[in-house]
Amino acid sequence: MKTKTSFTRSRLIPGIVIIVTGLLIFLLFAINTQPQVTSRFGMNISASSEAIQIPDLVVPAQTGIYVLALVTVFFGAWQMARGIRSTGALIGIVAFSFVASFLIWATQGKSFNMVGMLSSSLVRATPIALAALCGVISERAAVVNIGIEGTMLLSAQAAVISATVSHNLYVGLVVAILTGGLVAAFHAFMVIRFKVNQIVSGVAINIFATGATSFISSRYLEKHTDLFNNSGTFPIISIPLLSKIPILGPVLFENSLVVYLTMLLVVVLQVVLFYTPWGLRTRAVGEHPKAADTLGIDVFFVRYVNVIIGGMIAGLGGAYFTIGSVGRFDEVMTAGKGFIGLAAMIFGKWNPVGAFTSSLIFGFTDSLQVKMQILGTPIPSEFLLMAPYIVTMIVLTGIVGRAMPPAADGEPYEKQ
Amino acid sequence: MKKIFAFLSLLVVASMLLTACGGTTSSAFKVGQVTDLGGIDDKSFNASAWLGVENAQKELGVTGKYLESQGQSDYAKNIQQFLDEDTNLIVTVGFLLGVDTAKAALANPETKFAIVDYAYPDCWPGAAVGKDCGSDKEIANVLGLTFQTDQAAFLAGYLAAGMTKTGKVATYGGLNIPTVTIFMKGFEAGVKYYNQQKGTNVEVLGWNTAAADGVFAGNFESTDDGRSLAESFVQEGADIILPVAGPVGLGSAAVCKETGNCLVIGVDADWYETAAEYKDVVLTSVLKKINVAVYDAVKRAKDGTFKGGVATYTIKDGGVDIAPYHDFDSKVSAELKAEVEAAKKALIDGSLTVDGVLAK
Repeated sequence: MKTKTSFTRSRLIPGIVIIVTGLLIFLLFAINTQPQVTSRFGMNISASSEAIQIPDLVVPAQTGIYVLALVTVFFGAWQMARGIRSTGALIGIVAFSFVASFLIWATQGKSFNMVGMLSSSLVRATPIALAALCGVISERAAVVNIGIEGTMLLSAQAAVISATVSHNLYVGLVVAILTGGLVAAFHAFMVIRFKVNQIVSGVAINIFATGATSFISSRYLEKHTDLFNNSGTFPIISIPLLSKIPILGPVLFENSLVVYLTMLLVVVLQVVLFYTPWGLRTRAVGEHPKAADTLGIDVFFVRYVNVIIGGMIAGLGGAYFTIGSVGRFDEVMTAGKGFIGLAAMIFGKWNPVGAFTSSLIFGFTDSLQVKMQILGTPIPSEFLLMAPYIVTMIVLTGIVGRAMPPAADGEPYEKQ
Repeated sequence: MKKIFAFLSLLVVASMLLTACGGTTSSAFKVGQVTDLGGIDDKSFNASAWLGVENAQKELGVTGKYLESQGQSDYAKNIQQFLDEDTNLIVTVGFLLGVDTAKAALANPETKFAIVDYAYPDCWPGAAVGKDCGSDKEIANVLGLTFQTDQAAFLAGYLAAGMTKTGKVATYGGLNIPTVTIFMKGFEAGVKYYNQQKGTNVEVLGWNTAAADGVFAGNFESTDDGRSLAESFVQEGADIILPVAGPVGLGSAAVCKETGNCLVIGVDADWYETAAEYKDVVLTSVLKKINVAVYDAVKRAKDGTFKGGVATYTIKDGGVDIAPYHDFDSKVSAELKAEVEAAKKALIDGSLTVDGVLAK
């Protein structure tokens, strides 16, 4: 008897939440939408894209929102009556209906480029994801690296200078990765060899990076732009055939090198961390270094390697800002992306795929808010600018739940 | 262990020294400039103000020095440092230093201050003096240097409306603050005036004076944001962009140059010269001659004619203007050039006003 009531309750509450969402869609969007007005969503990124051109999606605004509200309420009722097995599917349906109605409402009588927004989501997520991956790989070995922001800043500058001087973007890329590795090696040396507080060392890197790059920038880069600070950027590489697929093609297969490398890294790190001996050792060192040591794992060696590899990934992130994006360096141009990356790492539960997903949610909301600003919705721009941070927090704390850091995270290891 | 701490602290000290590099000091008339977060080489208003100080060094024999602010807490600190050095005139750059400048000026009535892009009184009903705003009355030792940039942006808007091929032009700002939005407002008015004159329907993306809101990057630092904003505007069909966000705008210029899909209009300085790597895509620039204003302020302070209050620079006295077309000279039709000139004359003699066009 008891199990039955709790079972019903477990169906009831999500069901009510979904129905309320459906009503919210109705109250917030449907009644604020003009009848006889359409919303147009561009389905081609541009006329010059490789992808096969498809017609734009035109939705009758009010009808569309009514349908979405009804569908949501229907699923809510179904959940209450019968129960839907997959929580993921439930959340997906509700989130989709809500976001879609919001978009239709915001776009009524206007148009915006949907595929452009999706493509920009991935690009905007790239530097954040790289910072997050750097965090994952070093914190899994229990070394906190708060100096990612500074590492990226130094790498960004090193990349643009070396690429401009050598007239070769790949030289810039390699130099950026090496710079990242070097800075991380310094951090590792400080915190592993000398057990300096990990936060202090990271902050020192950030302060040093801001000062040093600003100094070099104002002394040299600004005065001799063509000599040092005009590298150009990696071209867009279209993957043959795949880039012709409508919608998916321009979003996933028409990107620059750094974006492809990021996607590859996510997969590689996920595999390495969870399916290889090295990954097992890394996690052991992060959870219980003493036990790992007893089993003959060289704790210090594992930590050095992971922190340095993490730094190299952050170096790639730094390269994104200059040779991957605008081809120039400007003071403090990383603008806090390193710290957002650290947040993405936490929301992603110290897991490469999770960190990438959090970065994508951030990138998506960020591109969405730009489009909303352009559309001139009644929502104030200040609020829209906060949206990526708020949505990322809500989505990830609401769905992901409690994230546990590696047990030994941040603690120096004392060999006995 | 000790050595390492010594090394770390050395790093911290070194980085602080590196961030605070400036000119030399002597017993001559001393001018100190405090930048906002954009830094001295923002190719925008900090740089332009510093150019004014540099010119004053050359021509008036004063000594100039600058301090860069890395965070909001640096404003008051940097001003205090100049006060400690007995600086004669302290130039603070920008809206964001409004409150700290007023506080320092009120506490040190002997020192002269000039603030770029700001003026006192700056309080609105209900604002807390010294927190939300600087002062509820004029300060005798502060000269506010303000600019009617909407007049110059108006001309840029008119030109952009005449040059667009897609019928859409765009603008965005760094933050929604008056010194930024005045550009966007003028730009919108210029486009509207073009539509009124020609019966066309050129659209402005990114700013709406009626709603007092538009598109903002949220910062003055991230050039990557400038890139993504420009891409987004191009996706929505715009082909000329006016970025009012300091170095962020250079990201837009970079993507325009790379793709060839858009043109930019520079702000503050003539980007054809200050950002020459993007000269192929700089249609014109909205000039705000902060250097002229700062030079004037230094001159007045030095020869004793300095008076607190507000000095407003307009299109009439040449304090604001649009830059020459440079490489686009042959692409802008003679007719459009003449119309822009006519609009400029009308703005100078007052028969045309930005607010007048927007009200229509």
